[in-house]
Amino acid sequence: MADYDVLIIGAGCGGLSVGSLLAKKGRKVLIIEQSDRIGGCCSTFEKDGFLFDLGASLIEDAEVINWAFERLGTTLWKEVDLVACDPVYTVILKDGTKIKYPISSEGTAQAISKISPEDGKRWFEYAKHMQGFLDAAFKGFFTAPVNTVADMVKMFARTPALLKYGPMFAASYQDVIEKYFKDERIRESLSYQTFYGGLPPELCPGYIAMIPWSEHDGIHYSKGGMIGIPEAFMRCGKKFGMEVKLNTLVKKVIIKDKKAVGVALSDGTEITSDLVISDINAKKLYLDLIGEEHLPRLALIGVKSYEYSMATPMFYLGVDYEPPLEGHHTLMTVPMEEMSDYWWNQYKKNQYPHEQFGIISWTSGSDPSLAPKGSHVIILTLAPGPYKLNGTTWDKEKPVLMERIIEYMSKKYIPGLADHVKVAMLSTPVDFEKRLLSPEGAIYALRQDVPHTTIFRPAAKSKSIKGLYLVGASTHPGGGVPTTIASGMIAEDLIEKYE
Amino acid sequence: MKSILAIIILLAGFLGFKNLRDSKKRFFKELLRQVPYLIPRYFV
Ligand SMILES: Cc1cc2nc3c(=O)[nH]c(=O)nc-3n(C[C@H](O)[C@H](O)[C@H](O)COP(=O)(O)OP(=O)(O)OC[C@H]3O[C@@H](n4cnc5c(N)ncnc54)[C@H](O)[C@@H]3O)c2cc1C
Repeated sequence: MADYDVLIIGAGCGGLSVGSLLAKKGRKVLIIEQSDRIGGCCSTFEKDGFLFDLGASLIEDAEVINWAFERLGTTLWKEVDLVACDPVYTVILKDGTKIKYPISSEGTAQAISKISPEDGKRWFEYAKHMQGFLDAAFKGFFTAPVNTVADMVKMFARTPALLKYGPMFAASYQDVIEKYFKDERIRESLSYQTFYGGLPPELCPGYIAMIPWSEHDGIHYSKGGMIGIPEAFMRCGKKFGMEVKLNTLVKKVIIKDKKAVGVALSDGTEITSDLVISDINAKKLYLDLIGEEHLPRLALIGVKSYEYSMATPMFYLGVDYEPPLEGHHTLMTVPMEEMSDYWWNQYKKNQYPHEQFGIISWTSGSDPSLAPKGSHVIILTLAPGPYKLNGTTWDKEKPVLMERIIEYMSKKYIPGLADHVKVAMLSTPVDFEKRLLSPEGAIYALRQDVPHTTIFRPAAKSKSIKGLYLVGASTHPGGGVPTTIASGMIAEDLIEKYE
Repeated sequence: MKSILAIIILLAGFLGFKNLRDSKKRFFKELLRQVPYLIPRYFV
């Protein structure tokens, strides 16, 4: 008899959600995590009295996360102390224009109308189209398995409304935004969310352009730090007997007769199980933890062909003043063409300039308990950063870059910043790789364009290895806190059906 | 007849592609570049 019914590699949002759900179903579950804390990219750490979120700093589509908690017999709102962020964000355009987008759709239309009355009217057209997509996609697409062509057919049969939105998959983010909005400043103000799909506006699939609308359904922050969400899953799972082991590295998945039967740890210990679930980067899983010798030829070509998603350096700042910011998030934007130009001519050429676009997260503005009294936390998620730098290394560049970015932010976006920094840390793509073992620091595991999505993304129920399931950013529906939790529900459904 | 039709389709595709703006060309190029991997990826 195996030691466990289910072994899960990685305590990210996907691993913890599926673990707790299967524990509730009466399965004996062990989650193995290599780092010293749970949550993976959705985690929080402390430095000199300041609490910083490692990666994710907001959730959208809270309803999807709530469905997972409902399956656990509770609700997201009961388990996690959430703060609603309003305004959704303030955008500072390249020319310095500030636009504040409130949560209300009408308020947003008014903000747009001040710049372009025509676009203000078009906002409602855009909102209607995107809401139609979301209504169809939430149940039909984001929480349904899409492993096979048959799954796709079933998906469209169950939710025929999805067919209407097919053209958004053949268009780019830029195409969709430009279709609805004609004023260059409004287009720019709705541009940054393309990077939530991990790609610049000209490459990102058009359906990601729903985000500037879906955000109006609510953006939330977890009080005490984003780790509150994974912690809530762990708490629920533990009630049903789920175990979590930290500081434990899985070296290999043990395969016998093409079936996953357990894992081997870095200290040589072997733990057996009926099923193995991976919450780690799927390319690394198949190539390093399973090994090429266990993969059919075609699958091996497929695995090797996957490209990692973008990485991004994160700046964590603890400051001893109240920064002149206007809400949880401030987007610093440039026109869409410049974002794409940056992608090809700097990011792809391994350059990282200090004059950047990106997001300022003022998390202690939403939750003052994150910083000592009178102090604040500011986190900068800047433009995509290459894994390797041309002619230098991230470690060499860190101190210089840190200083330049603080100076630049102080001048352009956060007056006074440079005089008030008490704690300053930078996590580069290389640091992310070391900390979370995410190859090249990829923030969404794999690229998220159409040839990496749905039936082309690694399947939730492995097609090469029996008893192996995937959750997390590497599998459908992809990277993001709600989506990886959705992948946990999908895996639960598949396991309940097949195992 | 079939080959004439194929040539017309190819030509129309080529001309259509040529008239696209650069960003759209890059969008399609990135998709086309990955076409050979779609079947292998389906088996992962
Ligand atoms: C910088 C950044 C900003 C982001 N911002 C947002 C945001 O604002 N909102 C949002 O919704 N999403 C955001 N995301 C995306 C979101 O956080 C992730 O997609 C999601 O949290 C990933 O969850 P996951 O289940 O894939 O697991 P991961 O978070 O990738 O966790 C995998 C876990 O597996 C562990 N592990 C790896 N290898 C092994 C091994 N061999 N043995 C044992 N354990 C192992 C790792 O240590 C890690 O804890 C952001 C991501 C990043 C990196």
